[in-house]
Amino acid sequence: MKRAKVKVYLGILTDMAKVMVSMPAELLAEVDAEARRTGSNRSAVLRGFAADAIQRRRSRRAEGIREILDGLPDLDLAGRGGEVAEEVKAHRPQP
Amino acid sequence: MSTLLLDSSVVLAAIKPDDRHHESSAALLADGSTVLATLDLARYEVTNVAVRAWSAPAAVAPLLRILDRIGADGGVVESSARLIAHAAELAGDHTISVYDAAYVAAAAEAGCGLVSCDVRDLVSKGLAELPGAVA
Repeated sequence: MKRAKVKVYLGILTDMAKVMVSMPAELLAEVDAEARRTGSNRSAVLRGFAADAIQRRRSRRAEGIREILDGLPDLDLAGRGGEVAEEVKAHRPQP
Repeated sequence: MSTLLLDSSVVLAAIKPDDRHHESSAALLADGSTVLATLDLARYEVTNVAVRAWSAPAAVAPLLRILDRIGADGGVVESSARLIAHAAELAGDHTISVYDAAYVAAAAEAGCGLVSCDVRDLVSKGLAELPGAVA
């Protein structure tokens, strides 16, 4: 039982990087307040905020591109040119 | 969680229904599980293909909007003297164009994987993965 706990603990340690973060005292106070409110700690609160912000940004990009692709006008591109990778090369400036 | 840098071929394939990588490219762009980035060169390349190869200027606006969306996610890497010097080295090492090498250099400098539909010069040389391999 003890052994299993050690393994988990070491696993967490090896996946985590320690960083030094600078921030205004007022913002840090809000982070600490959030940690107290959720029974957590600074590191966990900052990890959660970072992960949430990145996930929101990815989701906005994915949703935005879905809207663009779904709303494409009829561009009638089928049959125009060959495979795109070759078209990119063929239309680059030539020496 | 990881970041993928896309070259222009992935964005172009996503809107060209008869490209062999169309489905996987569109799926990758619309997938919210990975951060996506690109290189500023992609703006010129998608526009050039839309106008010169497809004769479809109406395709330019949606292509650039897709790149803007990617830019607001993982960013658009700006070309710099350092990046192009790195690309020049890679171009010599792998016998590829400096244009292709610029994407490889940008991905390397950003510490992320490169995704491309270019089998001949990038995927076959282990420098990029196909969209279907990462979507």
